Amino acid sequence: MSGMNDELLALSGLDDGWLDRRVFWDRDVYELELERIFARCWLFVAHESQLPKPGAFITTWMGEDNVLVVRRRDGSIGAYLNSCPHRGNRVCTAEVGTARGFVCNYHGWSFGLDGGLTGVHESAAFGREPGFDRSRLGLTPVAQLDTYKGLVFATFDPGAPPLRDYLGDFAFYLDVILDNDEGGTEFAGGSIKSVLGCNWKIAAENFAGDALHAGWTHASGAEAMLGRGVPDLGAEDAESYHVNANGHCWEFNLDGVGNAATLGDPRVMAYLRDHEKRFAERLGALRARMVGSISSVNVFPNFSFLPGQNTFRTWQPKGPHRTELHTWVLVNRNAPQDVKDAWRKGAMMTFSPSGVFEMDDGENWELATRSNAGVVTRKQRLYYGLGSGTAIEHPELPGNVHRGQINDANQRAFYRRWSQLLRARTWDEAAS
Amino acid sequence: MTTMETYWEVQTFLAYEARLLDEERYTEWLGLFTEDAHYWVPGVENRGRSDPNGPYAPSRMAYFDDTLEDLRRRVVRFTAPTAWAEDPATRHLHVVSNIEVERAETPGELLVRSVIVNYRGQGDIDAATLYGRREDILRRVSGELRIARRLVLLRHAVLPAKNINTFF
Ligand code: FES
Ligand SMILES: [Fe+2]
Repeated sequence: MSGMNDELLALSGLDDGWLDRRVFWDRDVYELELERIFARCWLFVAHESQLPKPGAFITTWMGEDNVLVVRRRDGSIGAYLNSCPHRGNRVCTAEVGTARGFVCNYHGWSFGLDGGLTGVHESAAFGREPGFDRSRLGLTPVAQLDTYKGLVFATFDPGAPPLRDYLGDFAFYLDVILDNDEGGTEFAGGSIKSVLGCNWKIAAENFAGDALHAGWTHASGAEAMLGRGVPDLGAEDAESYHVNANGHCWEFNLDGVGNAATLGDPRVMAYLRDHEKRFAERLGALRARMVGSISSVNVFPNFSFLPGQNTFRTWQPKGPHRTELHTWVLVNRNAPQDVKDAWRKGAMMTFSPSGVFEMDDGENWELATRSNAGVVTRKQRLYYGLGSGTAIEHPELPGNVHRGQINDANQRAFYRRWSQLLRARTWDEAAS
Repeated sequence: MTTMETYWEVQTFLAYEARLLDEERYTEWLGLFTEDAHYWVPGVENRGRSDPNGPYAPSRMAYFDDTLEDLRRRVVRFTAPTAWAEDPATRHLHVVSNIEVERAETPGELLVRSVIVNYRGQGDIDAATLYGRREDILRRVSGELRIARRLVLLRHAVLPAKNINTFF
């Protein structure tokens, strides 16, 4: 941990509500994040619906490692480093498609859907080589891969706890969006990628808990889609929460459809209204009120979504001051096609690079990152103290529950988890 | 083929339209569309040459997949005093080039192809440059050219920008 400051990683002051700005700026911190967070945690890599049949593949990022995610012949899903074991060239250069196998452009080595080396160009020469063993020259697989209700996650760490344990109590909340209908979910067609000049954590913590910015940053977007601003969310008696478990965070209220309403589409609203009872049967009355409510979510470390708008995204780290945003739209598989189309269009209209809401996020995040270039600025700590006395026990809600969505509780939980993982050499240490 | 006069008229129309966008005269810009207009900027996927599905499709995510009503909503956001990212004002430059004009399938409509370069400067040093090809259907309404359909094919699989706070 050369050059790294234990005090920084311990985030001294976080419990009093302060955060050290170097977490957004230092190259050393970033490199350690790649090792101890991105090469270790379970990361979202695909939705199963993106891999409908054998040979279907996508390429994506786990940290700065490019991975190839493939539906294998036996129907299982594999994920491999997208880098040839010969000289390291990228093996699959498309971001999505269907293939029988993959052939490297450099010297023609070919690989099967299971990642194994199936052939080499000039095979006679390799055949004469006593040390050449095909079985040791396949694409490097991830250590573990598992799914949770349609979402595919992978980890590079063989010692990582099972996915179900990694999600822990948070699975209860994920079901609000992944399991409110018996048909499950799928991604609408396509995806959008863009680039933000910000630290990835600024985006992740925004989705983890920043209901505060909704009414201010997005006043103009709300004006466009609803014809009015966002109502104040912080009343003393507001029925709203910050909940978190294992660093995964969900802030929400129980208004039912506040997020969904911003899509400005009557078909979406009618679908939610018609399914209200079914949601309640599957999820119980309380969680049914979360399906489209004013809320936001981050699954640790970098997988975010908005219930209601159903924008799903990953914040891919590209250096301490650069993030690639990858966006998809989630829909219920059994929803009528016109409702799915309405969701796809609405999510793009609100939360995409051209979305009337998202348009005002990027600049804030870029300047919140860039300010820290100043050596004096960087020494000024940031205030994360809101909602210090809001922890409660709740009869229905698991995990750490805090009253009130105008709160910094989830952001503090996010950085606590972040700090734990950066300091821990093993998963056992990180658990404490 | 079309006449030089038609070509001149189209080129003048597109230059005027670009200037309206540079000057953020969005309400006047909306007036250049027909009531049934479709404005489409699909997302572009990096797919293999042999992939029959192609880099974009109507069923996939798009930056814009808009009716005139949708465009009007966006203009509400652009012109709201609370559109914080628009203040200080973005410095827009819409370049239109490689204009080709031919008769469209529907009589009285023109198929107009062009290339666009869109530069935006923001704040102190922020800047983004986007490139694309455009295919418009222009229709004459009460003698005036109007945009009935626009397709913008951006040349980027990863948008080299944090947002698209403009139109093309
Ligand atoms: S680098 Fe792939 S075949 Fe040589
Ligand atoms: Fe936002």
